[in-house]
Amino acid sequence: MRRLNPSLIAGGVIVGLIVVMALVSFVWTPYDATLVNPAVRLAKPSWEHWFGTDKFGRDVLSQIMVGSRTTLFVGVVAVGVAAVIGVPLGILAAMSRRWAHELIMRTNDLLLAFPALLLAIMFGAVFGASTLTAMIAIGIASVPSFARVIRSGALQVMRTEYVLAARAAGRQPFPIAVRHVLPNVTSLITVQASVSFAIAVLAEAALSFLGYGTPPPTPSWGRMLQESQEFLFSAPRLAIFPGVAIAIAVLGFNLLGDGLRDRFDPKLEDRR
Amino acid sequence: MKSFRIRAVAFVASAALLALTACSAGSGTSPGSTTGASQSLAIGLVAEPASLDFTTTDGAAIPQALLGNVYETLVKLDESGKIVPSLAKSWTTSPDRKTYTFDLVDNAKFTNDKPFTAADAVFSINRVKTAWTTQLKAAMDVVQNVKALSATQLQVTLSRPSNDWLFRMTTRIGAMFSETGVSALATAPIGTGPFKFSKWNRGDSIVLQRNDGYWGSKPYFNEITLKYFKDPTALNNALLTGTINVIGTVQAPEALSQFTSNDKYQVIEGTTNGEVLLSFNNSEPIFKDIRTRQGIRQAIDHKALLDTCFAGRGKLIGSMVPPTDPWYEDLTSIDPYDLAKAKSLLQASGAAGKTLRLRLPTLPYAISCGQVVKSQLEQAGLKVQIDQLEFPAAWLTTVLKNADYDMSIIAHVEPRDLGTVFGSTKYYTKYDDPTLRQLLAAADTGNEAAQIDNMKKAARRLSEQAAADWLFLLPNLIVADKNLTGLPQNAITENFDLSRLARS
Repeated sequence: MRRLNPSLIAGGVIVGLIVVMALVSFVWTPYDATLVNPAVRLAKPSWEHWFGTDKFGRDVLSQIMVGSRTTLFVGVVAVGVAAVIGVPLGILAAMSRRWAHELIMRTNDLLLAFPALLLAIMFGAVFGASTLTAMIAIGIASVPSFARVIRSGALQVMRTEYVLAARAAGRQPFPIAVRHVLPNVTSLITVQASVSFAIAVLAEAALSFLGYGTPPPTPSWGRMLQESQEFLFSAPRLAIFPGVAIAIAVLGFNLLGDGLRDRFDPKLEDRR
Repeated sequence: MKSFRIRAVAFVASAALLALTACSAGSGTSPGSTTGASQSLAIGLVAEPASLDFTTTDGAAIPQALLGNVYETLVKLDESGKIVPSLAKSWTTSPDRKTYTFDLVDNAKFTNDKPFTAADAVFSINRVKTAWTTQLKAAMDVVQNVKALSATQLQVTLSRPSNDWLFRMTTRIGAMFSETGVSALATAPIGTGPFKFSKWNRGDSIVLQRNDGYWGSKPYFNEITLKYFKDPTALNNALLTGTINVIGTVQAPEALSQFTSNDKYQVIEGTTNGEVLLSFNNSEPIFKDIRTRQGIRQAIDHKALLDTCFAGRGKLIGSMVPPTDPWYEDLTSIDPYDLAKAKSLLQASGAAGKTLRLRLPTLPYAISCGQVVKSQLEQAGLKVQIDQLEFPAAWLTTVLKNADYDMSIIAHVEPRDLGTVFGSTKYYTKYDDPTLRQLLAAADTGNEAAQIDNMKKAARRLSEQAAADWLFLLPNLIVADKNLTGLPQNAITENFDLSRLARS
């Protein structure tokens, strides 16, 4: 019987809770997250407003709940962009001749050396600050890590007997990539997606904090942090709630990524 | 299990780090800080100019930095709003009020070492008509003829009497240029003022140096840096950390208590010309119906809006006239907040359920107020889509120049700007009202009493026609080092007068 994997369980629970929170926010939040209500502005946490209200009188808990949608949406799209570009690139690099392999991987290294946030800020400056530009920029910045991880996995698969047999039987590279390589790097994709998700969550928060992410009034944890700056002395809770939400989300996805890696990595078999 | 514990510790650390993110953000200090040197000063402002040429570029940031400091005018406004001499020692007006004769100072010279003469004044006034491209140039249309009677005497003849013209000569329209100093206005302004332009670090600061050849009283500071901040908290932090000595316009009034409770700083609170306008694109079919405009005005709870987005500081005005103008009347009783009536007006006009684009400049007050306006208008049945446009460049092009918007929020800080903003269909408000234009013309040509009477009628007409919504009047909120003197109580001109600043 396998031992319990605490990282996987804790990560799964945290991520699950965030997903549930985001889903629930579509049908119910304590208050309308964007409804301005000056009568209760800067209210302290109470039974009416569990996390208090911000300077517009908006319910902070409702904003955290709706903000989780932004967080998950950005993560899904950014990771999707990274995977859709990075996975084929990684497999292509593994299956290519030496010069093509070098070209792909050195280009990949160049992109890897470019700071992700800087790329996202450039996108924001050129195309305008929006959730979409933030997601695409974060996704593109995550492509190199996907390509690199998938390449190494694909190289191992390429040396297996069944791939050698397929090649000897005259199968074309594309069917080999789709039928043999891709299914065998799925676990790597899952682990990398989870880790990249955490990075995307943090990057979206940072971009919204800097004003290059989700524009107001759409709730976003990063922008909640930004808007709380004025009140750090008078109402620090406005920074603490979104700050903790971001930290928990990042921790959750990282734990999930670690847990999945422990689960799938055959080298760690003896540690289980 | 051990690795799980380590991760738990890492989680707590990262949570603390994130909470601290807000504390540290924006508090970066400049290595070139001028604080501490007795003869230099750094002033923190928002909205860096897009260019230094106000003859071709709109925006209040350029005259704020340069007018009165680098450029001078023949006449200027004192702090009470009275027109007083500047480059003109005195002036006379003909009995028909059409001819002005100015006696100019004889010892002023430009920073390119050319002396200032009546010929420069002729050149500058004529150049408004020929080379300026901003809407403000229309103020000089009334000038029929301008000639130099001698090196120090200038005669200006108007096509009709105009109360407004001499007042406009106190603004950027009246700035005096050297004929040989206009080749690089966007980057190297040349004027006769107490300061000369030194350098512009784009995205960061403009540095002005004392003009040691200045003809008038020399300024106290030999170097003043105008540092520009996009983030209001970063601006506050810059003063707290000593990067700047003055916050020229406080943008985060909620955080003012950190300065009022600190003996190191003085807080100045006065009034301004800055009407924060919720502007309507009156050329759009939806705004042609007065019920839509009135419905929007009545859907907004202005007191709540002011409390929410500017900490209750500022003043509710109800039209385009600040209390410092002679024709001010409290018009807040026109279209008062009435949600039920607003809903029925919007329903009747067919606007209910329609989506309006609220295109906001990336200025702190506009972003804050925009969220309140959106929420309040949506309660009245409208849908509002907020777009943020980078200020100044994107907003000036999209909204001010191309009028590609439905509603916007901006503070109009130019003095006596009712006619500029609503008197021409070319301006971005696209407001077309012949009755208003008649009132403005009558105010301009009549005597002082007629001017006041007609301007009052114009302001009332504007409000009754709901040509826009006047959210509030910006306060003049300045925070500075305790020992700094010469800061203006009220900001009723479009320039930040740096020549009077000194240390006690």
